[in-house]
Amino acid sequence: MLSCLGCPVLSRVLTTGASRAPVMVAAAGASRTSVAAATTTTSPPPPNSMTLVRYNSTAQQETPKKTKFGPLADQDRIFTNLYGRHDWRLKGAQQRGDWYKTKEILDKGVDWILNEIKVSGLRGRGGAGFPTGMKWSFMNKPSDGRPKYLVVNADEGEPGTCKDREIMRNDPHKLIEGCLVAGRAMGARAAYIYIRGEFYNESSNLQVAINEAYAAGLIGRNACGSGFDFDVFVMRGAGAYICGEETALIESIEGKQGKPRLKPPFPADVGVFGCPTTVANVETVAVAPTICRRGGTWFLGFGRERNSGTKLFNISGHVNNPCTVEEEMSIPLKELIERHAGGVRGGWDNLLCVIPGGSSTPLIPRNVCDTVLMDFDALVQAQTGLGTAALIVMDKSTDVIRAIARLIEFYKHESCGQCTPCREGVDWMNKMMWRFVKGDAKSAEIDMIWEISKQIEGHTICALGDGAAWPVQGLIRHFRPLMENRIEDFKQTQQARA
Amino acid sequence: MAEYANVVRRAVGQLGGHGGVKGFLLQLFRVNDIKTGALVGVDKYGNKYYEDNRNFFGRHRWVIYTTEMNGKKTLWEVDGSMVPAEWHRWLHCMTDNPPTTHPPEPKKFLAQVHQINLSGTSNCYVPYSTTRKKIHEWVPPKAGEK
Amino acid sequence: MLRLPAVSRALAGAAHSKGSISTTNNVWTSVRASSNMVEVFVDGKPVMVEPGTTVLQACAQVGVQIPRFCYHDRLSVAGNCRMCLVEIERAPKPVAACAMPVMKGWNILTNSEKTRKAREGVMEFLLSNHPLDCPICDQGGECDLQDQSMMFGADRSRFTEDKRAVEDKNIGPLIKTIMTRCIHCTRCVRFASEVAGVEDLGTTGRGNTMQIGTYVEKMFMSELSGNVIDLCPVGALTSKPYAFTSRPWETRKTESIDVLDAVGSNIVVSTRGGEVMRILPRLNEDVNEEWISDKTRFSYDGLKRQRLTQPMVKDASGQLVATSWEDVLTRVAGALQGVQGSEVGAIAGGMVDAEALVALKDLLNRLDSETLCTEEVFPMTGSGTDLRSNYLLNSRITGIEECDLLLLIGTNPRYEAPLFNSRVRKSWLHNELEVAMVGHKVDLSYSYNHLGETTQVLQEIADGTHPFCKVLAQAKKPIVVVGSSSLQRDDGAAILKAVSTIAQNSRAISGVEEGWKVLNVLHRVASQVAALDLGYKPGVDAIRKNPPKVLFLLGADADCITRADLPKDSFIIYQGHHGDVGALMADVIMPGAAYTEKTGTYVNTEGRAQQTRVAVTAPGIAREDWKILRAISELAGVTLPYDTLDEVRRRLEEVSPNLVRYDDVEEANYFKQAHELSKAVNQSLLAAPIVPPQLTVKDFYMTDPISRASQTMAKCVKAVTEGAAAVDEPSIC
Repeated sequence: MLSCLGCPVLSRVLTTGASRAPVMVAAAGASRTSVAAATTTTSPPPPNSMTLVRYNSTAQQETPKKTKFGPLADQDRIFTNLYGRHDWRLKGAQQRGDWYKTKEILDKGVDWILNEIKVSGLRGRGGAGFPTGMKWSFMNKPSDGRPKYLVVNADEGEPGTCKDREIMRNDPHKLIEGCLVAGRAMGARAAYIYIRGEFYNESSNLQVAINEAYAAGLIGRNACGSGFDFDVFVMRGAGAYICGEETALIESIEGKQGKPRLKPPFPADVGVFGCPTTVANVETVAVAPTICRRGGTWFLGFGRERNSGTKLFNISGHVNNPCTVEEEMSIPLKELIERHAGGVRGGWDNLLCVIPGGSSTPLIPRNVCDTVLMDFDALVQAQTGLGTAALIVMDKSTDVIRAIARLIEFYKHESCGQCTPCREGVDWMNKMMWRFVKGDAKSAEIDMIWEISKQIEGHTICALGDGAAWPVQGLIRHFRPLMENRIEDFKQTQQARA
Repeated sequence: MAEYANVVRRAVGQLGGHGGVKGFLLQLFRVNDIKTGALVGVDKYGNKYYEDNRNFFGRHRWVIYTTEMNGKKTLWEVDGSMVPAEWHRWLHCMTDNPPTTHPPEPKKFLAQVHQINLSGTSNCYVPYSTTRKKIHEWVPPKAGEK
Repeated sequence: MLRLPAVSRALAGAAHSKGSISTTNNVWTSVRASSNMVEVFVDGKPVMVEPGTTVLQACAQVGVQIPRFCYHDRLSVAGNCRMCLVEIERAPKPVAACAMPVMKGWNILTNSEKTRKAREGVMEFLLSNHPLDCPICDQGGECDLQDQSMMFGADRSRFTEDKRAVEDKNIGPLIKTIMTRCIHCTRCVRFASEVAGVEDLGTTGRGNTMQIGTYVEKMFMSELSGNVIDLCPVGALTSKPYAFTSRPWETRKTESIDVLDAVGSNIVVSTRGGEVMRILPRLNEDVNEEWISDKTRFSYDGLKRQRLTQPMVKDASGQLVATSWEDVLTRVAGALQGVQGSEVGAIAGGMVDAEALVALKDLLNRLDSETLCTEEVFPMTGSGTDLRSNYLLNSRITGIEECDLLLLIGTNPRYEAPLFNSRVRKSWLHNELEVAMVGHKVDLSYSYNHLGETTQVLQEIADGTHPFCKVLAQAKKPIVVVGSSSLQRDDGAAILKAVSTIAQNSRAISGVEEGWKVLNVLHRVASQVAALDLGYKPGVDAIRKNPPKVLFLLGADADCITRADLPKDSFIIYQGHHGDVGALMADVIMPGAAYTEKTGTYVNTEGRAQQTRVAVTAPGIAREDWKILRAISELAGVTLPYDTLDEVRRRLEEVSPNLVRYDDVEEANYFKQAHELSKAVNQSLLAAPIVPPQLTVKDFYMTDPISRASQTMAKCVKAVTEGAAAVDEPSIC
């Protein structure tokens, strides 16, 4: 959630979307205009207009608009070793098609790769969903002598999210090849993979894979024989969630405290070691070679427009079969859970709510879950976000207030302490939330915590403050009666005791 | 008529009771009062103590101070604290027994020589300062020390 | 510059209608617009700013003050307090004004509903964990948090949870920490790492448990550490010696000058009831910016101890006893009357004002004596002190920011002139200044090229055989600074000659314009430049060679002359404010006034005349120094022709006009002539290495009678040598 350049953009979309869009989830066709309006009016770098034009001129003429999304056919899966059933080493990876004609991709040049990525409509998989092609093209400014770097954000710390872990554990070569392709696209000299410190096995797998790739001449000097020099380094973090924020990650790589930097200057101007840098999520990078190999239009063929592609969904919580699965974007949430996770524990009617995009997105109650599609725009319309597409499913046995309180405690623990609103406000919210769990509060305090969360949101350097404020807002938005009942019950038990 | 005779008698008594015109004038300027009364006693410093019960209570005992006490000229500069302790109690009606008839028990704390109050003089008592010194001056080392 | 024609036109056409003025304004705007300026609006008011200006600076240009805590002009931008959030029209989120550069056409709304809401929210968060112990807080009355919460905060609190408490840290005898009050603006951390150049302070922990501190308990060991007290926007860092002594609204402030080193830092003396309560820096961009050294700030308690408060004479047994002014003045006048010419001599110390110097000089001159010396030595061979440019820091302190190569010779500016050193560090940090040094290797808070400590290195550079000469040759604007301590040596003249040669050579090679000054002398004591301007002889050699019968010590406490150097029956008069070395050997002591107690002229090492002002009266019956000398002269029958301060200053002006041109630096540029004359010096360099006397921070604190009398400074020395825990005092809160 924290990892992408576009985090502010998302928050803008969210806030304005919340005020503009109807609460009800509209049908895909109807939602399109309002979403487009919301996005175009809010984000200063307008959404990838080039992609849109292309899409409109080609896809609309050829095929009628797609209305059904998912399930994904096996031949369209990008991550073919997600469950570790095959060899993750170089040999196995090559059998599955990795490193196939990588040289040719590299030789086609920067513009071709960028164009394919732009055509594919790939949006950042780290949470904010910034168009990847555009982000990578920011790096192609005339060089001023400084080297450029690609930094891969493998600091997957968001509660509920476990997609990058699977990639690095079972398909590390996809990531390394992705680094090479992405590095070529932005003219980077080297890639730093900042991996979460707790991922010990993953980092060792990754290091083994990198060593193999070096030995095979796939990366390093004259990578894949293309004449392009490219190094890949693994850097292990020390377990701070905030280091998943791109500028904090850069600070951490530089050996400083992981505290987000002020933007501007953006990392594309001054990044790691003062050089232009792009920070990209593992999944974003890892899908790049396949997109280049199979073509941007293939990738574009999945999902609704502007939400194209396939995506790794992590389904956890009260489902019969928690799993990580690659699926088409825009698959209905209900179908995703029913098909891959074996349904909600105790049946769909036992569903209480779902946090659709990792812990920092607001939850959605059952009635919304019935129809909502799993993509960026539809979830924004539902006043939440796709985030990292990590679904946390809660059935009716859940004490949802306590669940959110626990999440806020997590954010309180992980706040870096730089900005006042996040440092003081999240701590305050945490203390209040645990009182709400008991019901030891006044109902006026529900409005107060709402106001406090609004005072945090958008007032901090990085998006952690926003991410801490949203779950509370989601809770109040959908479960206010529950909170009030809890307070009333507590009052009565207190009186009875007295 | 008898009243007037009484007044005249008292006037004559007051004129004569101070030792003639000179004494009368001295008394008038020193004490601003010319009343006469029975001399109860004289202390060792020369202060004379009188009593006249015709005056109302509070004015019925008085002292005529001595003219020199403890080496200080007290002809004109008199002070209430010139009365020694043993006479003080009689003068202030704490007792009706003057020390002439009932000499005080000797006590350790009774001064041998009564001291006049020093307030307002250069020898008056000044309490030591409890505030911090603002400036600590340099104290030169003792000569010969090195 | 562009303003001028418009202004003059507007002035000339004062009778014109408003319309004519507005047209000139339009012209001006268009001129500015063409020169790459960006137009932004502050609350609808247009303002032209340079590209890259931050929102906060743009607002400041139209006089709108944005509230801030973490932002400070002289420190890097942290942007973490979020107090300066302002709304930009049509932007979705409020932006941090301190960090956000303006874009063309932005309308900054500094007082909109959203802006006020954001400020109020941040203020609420800041106060939520702040102890609100203002009544017992030393920052009360000068607290940014207090002021801004009055201006921008909500009128009631709704924080009902428990407050955070943080353990206080002992970071030395100067700075008291009450860390619960900290709002984590990190100004102190940034000051320490950027200005002071010590990485002592930092943050530990995360989130609400984040703490400012030294991690392991140690002293914040910097010669500029006291400045974090001024920087701290709340009462987390306050002055330990000043704790609980007075409130800012009780004190009277007197703008003055510091005389404990030769930089002449501008200070404000806060006094209450005739007592100096504290000393604060005063802004002067040309001298000390807004910092002062710890010695300047904290040695004020030395002004209250070991003071000479009444005249003293030696009695028959040799014991100094207090006496009256009449007595000492007649004794001194009598002694002076009995001698003529070289039988009387005088030594002026390091903290004497120019008024006293000129009075003493006039007095002795009237007795036909020319034996007037300063304690500090300056080589007199060659052109000596005849050419003013020889003994000044000619490039000025601000010149350091323009130069690209600085060669330090035999000096440790970090402790001899901390504010000069902080300029060097600033330039080293921001202008990529290259620093090299000949002399003992010391920690200067920036990296430098240590060329060696022998005089041989100096000779090699002068001869052009040293490898450093190549670097010197590439410099566009070189500066050579020689420390006055290295000129105290017996081969001072030879060192000065070598330095002059280096300076003259590098000037020739760099081809810098004629106005650029290369040669600089960094003095250590405040009175030296004024004394040399007035014609005092530097060094006490004359007195040692020709011991006078009567020796007049004017604040001379550096122990240059001892009784042993003088005939047995010589009569020593000491005039000064502290019972120190000089008073100990005196036969007669006349108590003078210290720098906070008199209006005096001091010339700093740049040659900048500045004046101290009377903040408190002199203690006891001590008097201003020139008045004492004037009284002696009358009794001795050689009455000095001035009765008032103005008349003394008129006399100063007669001798050297620059002494009364306050806050101005008189240019001096005779390097070529001085260099020619220095060729006549035929002294050879000694083999001994060049070692300045102040090497480490413990040598910094006690250098003069005032700081030697200061208990705070003594504690600092103890803390530095034995660790901060050695001077830990149980504090009340």
